[in-house]
Amino acid sequence: MGSESIPASIVQLAPVEKVLSIGRANSLWPMTFGLACCAIEMMAAGAARFDLARFGAEVFRPSPRQCDVMIVAGTISKKMYPAVKTLYDQMPEPKWVIAMGNCAISGGPFAIEGQYGIIEGADTFLPVDVYVPGCPPRPEALIEGILELEEKVCGFRRWPRVEPR
Amino acid sequence: MEQQSLLDLLYIAAFFLGGLGFALGPFIIAFILSPRKTRNIDNRTDQFIECGMVPIGDAWIRYGVVYFLYALMFLAFDVDVLFLFPVATVYNDPAFAGSMRNFVEVVIFVAILSLAIIYAWKKGVFKWDRKVYQHQ
Repeated sequence: MGSESIPASIVQLAPVEKVLSIGRANSLWPMTFGLACCAIEMMAAGAARFDLARFGAEVFRPSPRQCDVMIVAGTISKKMYPAVKTLYDQMPEPKWVIAMGNCAISGGPFAIEGQYGIIEGADTFLPVDVYVPGCPPRPEALIEGILELEEKVCGFRRWPRVEPR
Repeated sequence: MEQQSLLDLLYIAAFFLGGLGFALGPFIIAFILSPRKTRNIDNRTDQFIECGMVPIGDAWIRYGVVYFLYALMFLAFDVDVLFLFPVATVYNDPAFAGSMRNFVEVVIFVAILSLAIIYAWKKGVFKWDRKVYQHQ
């Protein structure tokens, strides 16, 4: 989407902003909002086994007015497209977007010639911060995406990075 | 003594200011440190409905209030019974129950309250109809 202006607060003090960003990074509140099968993995990530609460991002809010992160979990059909846009509008600043799964990244398996029903990727209309590939991504992948977002928000990574073997 | 009361007043003022700061401070801090606007892609930030769907019509519409009449009637019966409870208690006394004058007084009281119900009855309150007023 190129560059875009992010609304800022009235008073900006660098140390205060730093502290605030640490607070924001470690208490990301995602929106209870699933579009397709990736939402099942998102639910699994929030539930007991994978336990997103360990990273402070388990408070799935039912209202966009209380959310920080929109996890676009699934295929954006043309029917849901206006709803997704409305929900993004209603989230207060600061807000971030995670595109979860291949459908939200690029349309995934539905991005074929002549398709008429889906939007090919959330980044065609949303400023996506983190892409989590997979079809669907495992809950660990979503957690890693949230950790990446935390790193993006506060500038450092609080959790160890697991190298692939 | 004079000094002591002045000191007490100062304490109260200090605690009052502390409480006020505690209540108002978070609002001020949030106002200063949080972004006042939000990014907008569809101009729907001020939409009331938070489920993403476009609301159909307005919530501020006129609709028939039929039920409030029942609420008023309930009040009539309720007050009736409320005032009859002391009467029922005092009727345990044979000297009270034997007097014709007391009985007549209770009958008058209940009759006057019943008039309200009869009036409502005549007005058609007990019919479940949408009220249509011609003069509007």
